[in-house]
This record gives sequence, C-alpha cells and structure tokens, in this order.
Amino acid sequence: MFLALREMRRAKLRFGLLAGAVGLLVFLILFQQALLGGLINQFIGALKNQSADVLVYNDQARKNVEGSIILPEQAAAIAAVDGVAAVGPLGQGTFTVTADGGEDDAVIFGYTLGGPGAPTSLSAGRLPEADGEAVASAKDEEDGFAIGDTITVLGPGGTLELTVVGQADDLNFSVAPTLFTSFDTFAAAKRVRNGVGPEVEVQPSLMAIDVASGVAPQTVVDRIAASVDGVEPLTRQQAVDGSPGVASVRSSFSVILGLFYLVVPLVTGLFFLIVTFQKASSLTLLRAIGAPARALVGSLFIQVVVVMAAGSLIAFGLYAASLQGVKNLGVRVEITPVVVTSLVVLALALLTSLVAVRRVLRIDPIEATTGAGVHL
Amino acid sequence: MSLKLPLRELRRQPNRFVVATVVLTFLATLLLFLGGLLDGLYLGSTGAIRAQQGDAIVFSSTARDSFLRSRIDADTRAAVEAVEGVEAVGGLGFVLLGAAVPGEDDPADVAIAGYELAPAGVPDVATLADGEGIADDRLQDQGVGLGDTILVGPQAVPVTVVGFTEDTAYLLQGSVWVNLPTWRTVQNANRPDAAVADTTVQALVVRGAGGDLPARIDAATGGATRTLTVDAAVLALPGVEQQESTFNQIIYSTLVVVLAVVGLFFSLLTLERLGLYGVLKAIGASSGRLFVGVVVQAVVVSTVAFVAGSLLAIGAAAALPASLPLQLEPSRFVFTFVALLVASVLGSAISLRRVLRVDPASAIGTAS
Repeated sequence: MFLALREMRRAKLRFGLLAGAVGLLVFLILFQQALLGGLINQFIGALKNQSADVLVYNDQARKNVEGSIILPEQAAAIAAVDGVAAVGPLGQGTFTVTADGGEDDAVIFGYTLGGPGAPTSLSAGRLPEADGEAVASAKDEEDGFAIGDTITVLGPGGTLELTVVGQADDLNFSVAPTLFTSFDTFAAAKRVRNGVGPEVEVQPSLMAIDVASGVAPQTVVDRIAASVDGVEPLTRQQAVDGSPGVASVRSSFSVILGLFYLVVPLVTGLFFLIVTFQKASSLTLLRAIGAPARALVGSLFIQVVVVMAAGSLIAFGLYAASLQGVKNLGVRVEITPVVVTSLVVLALALLTSLVAVRRVLRIDPIEATTGAGVHL
Repeated sequence: MSLKLPLRELRRQPNRFVVATVVLTFLATLLLFLGGLLDGLYLGSTGAIRAQQGDAIVFSSTARDSFLRSRIDADTRAAVEAVEGVEAVGGLGFVLLGAAVPGEDDPADVAIAGYELAPAGVPDVATLADGEGIADDRLQDQGVGLGDTILVGPQAVPVTVVGFTEDTAYLLQGSVWVNLPTWRTVQNANRPDAAVADTTVQALVVRGAGGDLPARIDAATGGATRTLTVDAAVLALPGVEQQESTFNQIIYSTLVVVLAVVGLFFSLLTLERLGLYGVLKAIGASSGRLFVGVVVQAVVVSTVAFVAGSLLAIGAAAALPASLPLQLEPSRFVFTFVALLVASVLGSAISLRRVLRVDPASAIGTAS
C-alpha cells in the first residue's frame, strides 16, 4: 500500500490524467442516465400518473396521444364492453398560454371530473371540482403554475382562464408544463386555440377506462380489441412503454451507455497494463528481494480503486454542476445512481486490470539477474 | 531518423498499439452513433421547413411559432401581400396522422403538407390534382409505393401518391405534399375541432427582399403575426435546439476523453522509450523528428480506429430497428475523422515536453 500510494504521489500527472479521463467518462454515463430518466418522465409522466387502468387510442395513431381521436360511435362501443366499470373521454392538446406574465407552451389534459383519467400524484392542493380549475405539474411551480395562479389560454378564438387548485409530481407531457382539467374546459381551450365556435364538437383523444373490480386490465384490453373496430386499447403501462419516442429514446441511450460502459474499463485496463509493463524491471527486482506476488497485485488493485474513486468524485462534481443546466427536465442530484454507477465501473475496471495482474504474476524473480522484464 | 522508424514499429509491434486502437475504435463508434442520432433527429424533424424556398415564414402571433397552432386568415394574408418588397406569398399547412397503406398491416405515420410555393424537390402545385400527393421517400420504408392510394386518418381520406421526393420529413413523419384544398379536406375530416376555412392556412411562406422583411411584415399586420426567417423557423420546431445542444455537449465531452486517452497512451509510450530516444538523439536525430514520429503513430492509430469504428457504426445502424432515428451522413464521418485526428495530435503533444527533455548523454549506459 505504501508503495502504491507513493508511486501515485510521484506520478501525479500520469494518474491525474487517468482519473480525469475516468471522471469524464463516468460523468457522461451519469449525465445520460439522468437525462434518460428525466426525458422519459417528462415525455409521458402524465400518462403514467393518471388513474385510468386502460387507455383506448385510435388504431391509426400508433400509440401517439397527439395523433389520436376517438369517434363518437367508437366511444359508445367501448362503453358497452363487459368489464368496463367507468369510461370517460381524455383530451390532450398543446396550447399557447400566459403564465407569470410571459407566454409559454402548455399541455392540457381534459377528463371527466370524478371519473377515470384524474392525476394520481397530487402533492399539494386538491383535484379540480369545477370547470376552469386545474391541477398543474409541480415542476413548473416557479414558472407561474403554482396553486392560486391563473393561466390564460391564447388563440385566434380569444382567451380562456384556468385557475391552478392543485399540484402533482411527475405530471409533465412532451417536456412542457402540464395541466389536468375538466373535459369541458379542455374543449373550450381547444376552441380558443383553433378559433372555432361553440357549435364545433371537440372529440376526445383517448377513452379512459376504470375496469370493474376483479377484472384484469388486460382482459378488458382484449375484449375491446376484439369487439371495437379502429381502436387500439392499452393498459396504462403498455401506453407508457409504447409511447412514440420512449422506446426509441430507450434503445438509443442503451447503445450509447453500453459503449461508455465498455470504454471506461478498457481505458483503465489499458493504463494499468502499460504501467505494469513499464515497471517490469522494478517489479522483477522487488520479487527477487522477497516481495510476494500478492503484495504487488494488492498494490495494483489499490491504485485501481484510488483512481476510480478519484474519477467518481470528479464525475459527481461535474454531474451535480451539469444538472443545474437541465433543470427543465426535472432531474435531481441523486446519490444512489452515482454510487451504483461508480461501483459498477469499479468492478469492471478491476476485471480489466486482471490482464495487468496476469503480467505481474508471470514475473520470474530470476530474471532480475539477467535484466529482463515482462513482455507485452 | 526518418518517418520509417515509427511506421516500422507499428508494423512490427502491432500488439503494443492494439489496446489503444480498440479503445479509440469504441470511442469513434460512440462519436458516430451520437452524431448519427443528432443528424437523424435534426434532418427527420426539419426537412419540410428546410426545403421551403422562401425568405420568411409568417405565423399567427399566438402560435408561438407552431404550425399546428397557427392560423392565417385571408385579411392577414392580404396585409402580408401588400408589404413593400414582398414578391410571392404561399400558404402552408400540416396535419400529422396515421394512414392505411395498401398491403400493409401497420399504418404509416404521415404529415399531410398543403403548399402553394413549391419546396425544393417538390413539383409546382398546379401539376397536382385534388387528392394527389408527392410523398417523402422515407414513406417507402413503411410500404408506400408509387400509385398507392393511402387512406389518411380515422376518416380514411384517400390520397394517391403520384411521385416521391426526399429530405422533406416533418417531426419525424414522412410528408405527403398536396394542394391546399386536399390538405383542408384531410384536416377538416380528421380534426373537426381544428377545421379551417377555405381561405385559411396555418402559415405563409414569403419571398421578398430586405433583411428587415420579417419586421416589416409584422408591422404591416399590426402585430397579428410573428414572422421568422426560414432558418429561425427550423430552430423553432419543438425540441430541435435542445436536442442539438445536448448532443453536441456529449459529443465534445467524448472528444475530450479521446484527447485524454491518446495523451495518456503516448505519454506512457514515450516514457518507456526515453532511453531509446537518448540513443537516437546521440546519433543525430532531432527532437522535432522524434516528436513527429509520435504524432505519426497517433495519427495512424486514430485512422485505423476510425475505420474500424465506422464499420462498427454502420453495422450497428443496419442491425438496430428502423424506428431509431439514426442517420449516418458522409459529413458526420468527415467531422468525426477530423475531430479524432485533431484530438490525437493534441493528445500526443502531451509527450512533447518529455521528448524535448531527453538528453543525448543519457544514451550512455541507460539505453536498452
């Protein structure tokens, strides 16, 4: 241990460079993991945290809420399916609003008050009880979406005011501030946005369903799929996982993270292999004067642990600082992913440094007398 | 010492460089993959707007630069047309829907785009009859063929594909370019709550002179519009700017890692060769030549890693599902290659100080 640490003190640049490179790589892993979690929550938090067990889309929408519209005859057929305890329209749209004095984009969901589709992650205030009231995504509190604030929907059809009466966690949709209100209020907002009169019927995007007690959501999904034309029923979880964007974001990030997880141990393994090669004559000499192979291997592992720990610390600093720049994704600095990621990369680094360990173990003390070292 | 020595070392002792090459190969794949995703997202989202052959795009003032939320009526259009310097004005409208494709089980994601001024690669709108459209070639991947009649939206409005164009996707959906009456038919049938009148469009594409054209248009409409240049309208599309900045941050951070890896590897290799460099200096090799040798090796290692990384990225792109917006553009390969070379040269420069400090006298007794 004494030797391992002294060597590191004397070769600060060499080990500093490695710790810096590892730190940057671990930071990129942490940052992208946070980004992935944040993006998914911000994209589909509203679907995940609403009460309906089953959501029914138009089958042409390809699981995209924004592209879905349920026709009146489809809505009636869905309500008649066995196992449906309660059914109601769920509307969704993106609107231009003024909040806190400035213009902003906001997503509005409309549901039947007291029916399926209500937010389930209420953190303050209450659910809407009348038209014109709304629950807002808690993340956007400071941007004019706090309880008591008034949000004004703008459009060619004039304006419409909504009052925030409650807040819910992880309620965002498409990374925008999100409001849940009555379906009638949503319909009125849509008429304002599109500049159409009250005679125009606003169609729901989806149908939200509570299943009857004792009936599995998947059973109701199967029944609707079998009996209603032109729709695609999904359980809540299927709707979340199948949302366009979520699957492709997940697979893109998986490949990127996989490559990063591959590079970190390779860089560390490479470094220690070269260092071991360079120290070959010294290590041979140490073996010749009686140092057991175990002590040399122990020193190597200590250096790996110290470098990885330093790299993880650097990564944590960068991670904490960089998350300030993506506050709009609602990502928070969390210790658990940092610890888990650091331990995983440490384990991988120890694994790849086994190649260097093998070189150390192959040292023959007799070579000290001939001047030869180990060879790559 | 000529350049033969570093190249000969690479040839005769390739094992010494294998691990560094493997690490750089993965980093090159990572850079190409990240860049390919960025390009795929950018090109797939913005094609329809980049193809516009105009100088400005006019939205209604409450739309926050969103086509889907914007409405321009006949009066506003007349006010825009009357602005001095305006040469041509054309309506534009989009609606994002699914469409049934003949012979396919799954619907295709389409963006029905109504136009008057032809975008690049799209024929004059007068050549299209009602119900006919020019499809973006990415729809061919979803089974759309020439002459197919696709049924658009829940109300199954028929649109017959009479030609194909390229690079005109809108928000990752393949566009089908139709005349404005066809667009209105599709929009009003499938989105009755967002129906538009016969003279209404979502936005206007304007050709005209003068850098202050957007400001003059907005002034002439009394603030009823918000006018952007085409480039600004591209960046105003949802998520485009944020995607670009996030991916670029990751790409540049990865390049710093490349620099650190090359620096680390060659500074260690240089340390290992100090004795040898002493001998070479003693027999007349200059520090410059020795350093050039290090740089040459870094460049060769990076080039090999780039080629291997490119092959890996191309293979990964072919193996991954088509839904992944990965688009490997030639320009991305060039950028990655140049960036790798620059990072390698800079990384190998970390060894410069050590090479300069080698004393030829050290050749006596220490060289191996």
